[in-house]
Amino acid sequence: MDHRPFEDWLLDNQTLSKPQERDLNAHLRTCSACTAIAEVNLALNSVKEVAPAAGFSDRFQLRFAARKQAIRRRNIWGFIFLTLSALAVLGWAAWPILKELILSPVNLIASWISSLASLWAAVQAITRAGAMLFKVVPGFVPVYVWLAILMAAGMWSLVWVVSLIKFTKFSQGVKNENDH
Amino acid sequence: MTDEMTWIIQAQHGDDDAFTNLVETYQKPVYNLCYRMLGEMEAAEDAAQETFLKAYQNLTRYDRERSFATWLLSIAAHHCIDRLRRRRFNSVSIDEDEEGQTDIPDHSAPDPESEIMKHQQGERLQNCLQSLDPTDRAAVVMRYWQDCSEVEIAQALKLTVPAVKSRLHRARRALAELWEEKPTRMRHERKPYGSPAF
Repeated sequence: MDHRPFEDWLLDNQTLSKPQERDLNAHLRTCSACTAIAEVNLALNSVKEVAPAAGFSDRFQLRFAARKQAIRRRNIWGFIFLTLSALAVLGWAAWPILKELILSPVNLIASWISSLASLWAAVQAITRAGAMLFKVVPGFVPVYVWLAILMAAGMWSLVWVVSLIKFTKFSQGVKNENDH
Repeated sequence: MTDEMTWIIQAQHGDDDAFTNLVETYQKPVYNLCYRMLGEMEAAEDAAQETFLKAYQNLTRYDRERSFATWLLSIAAHHCIDRLRRRRFNSVSIDEDEEGQTDIPDHSAPDPESEIMKHQQGERLQNCLQSLDPTDRAAVVMRYWQDCSEVEIAQALKLTVPAVKSRLHRARRALAELWEEKPTRMRHERKPYGSPAF
């Protein structure tokens, strides 16, 4: 018989029948390569598990505590560094305002008040113009245009409600033909 | 719920004592895998400790549907593979005699001769293992020492099951070829990552 099947049996660690075992044993007496594979398989199946030196978990506890301490220290330094960086960036961005505030605080506060006053005046003007338009525009629009607008709004609402009911009533996705 | 699952859940909630129980339960398989991968007691101890630290840091990512042992061994195997790659990259030469092999035969055993034989066989196998590719070595250790199935090895080493079968097949062939060589020659042979002999 050819060498190949014996080698494959050994390399794949196959479970053998009694006649196969007999053939393999006969082959092993003449083939050193297959004998080596068989010996390796035997050695692999019989070697012991190596245990660590006593006190492994105690040593782990020490390392664990040291690592935790290092992480805590790193986090503290990281927090300090980030805070200082953020303060530096803020200081750099706000430097023109700060400079003004330090050099001439009265001028800066006066310019802020003036900006607020102009903003308030703009808001009031927009409100007044809006109220005026609300009073004047309905007089220019004929009644049938109002009716058309109301009907269109009603239709649109109806379509919207029907669509909503349709999408929520049936599950989305592909329905399986076999599901009953 | 098993004790192991209780410890895992407690450890995930920050209970360090529960994690210590897991360390005590799995120290031997994790250490054995590291030792078989790295071939040195000291490096194995360090790698095993690092494995447990990594496991603790990533415990919230552990999927409870999977075997905890396989997850832990996966961390250990990847850690050792990385270490071996770094070692190869740094071309650190470690002499066989300095490796701290302390797997000493038990002379007080009922049959000391067979104990010595077993020890020699184990040492010879360990020498052969060191010549394998790190991933193949991890697959062999998980298969024979940890009794992991091919599916578990595939999950742990992020391989497909046919790839694991092929790696085991290749590793057995390589081990057999090395086994045929004289053990004395193997003891003095330089590792592939070692510096050339002067």
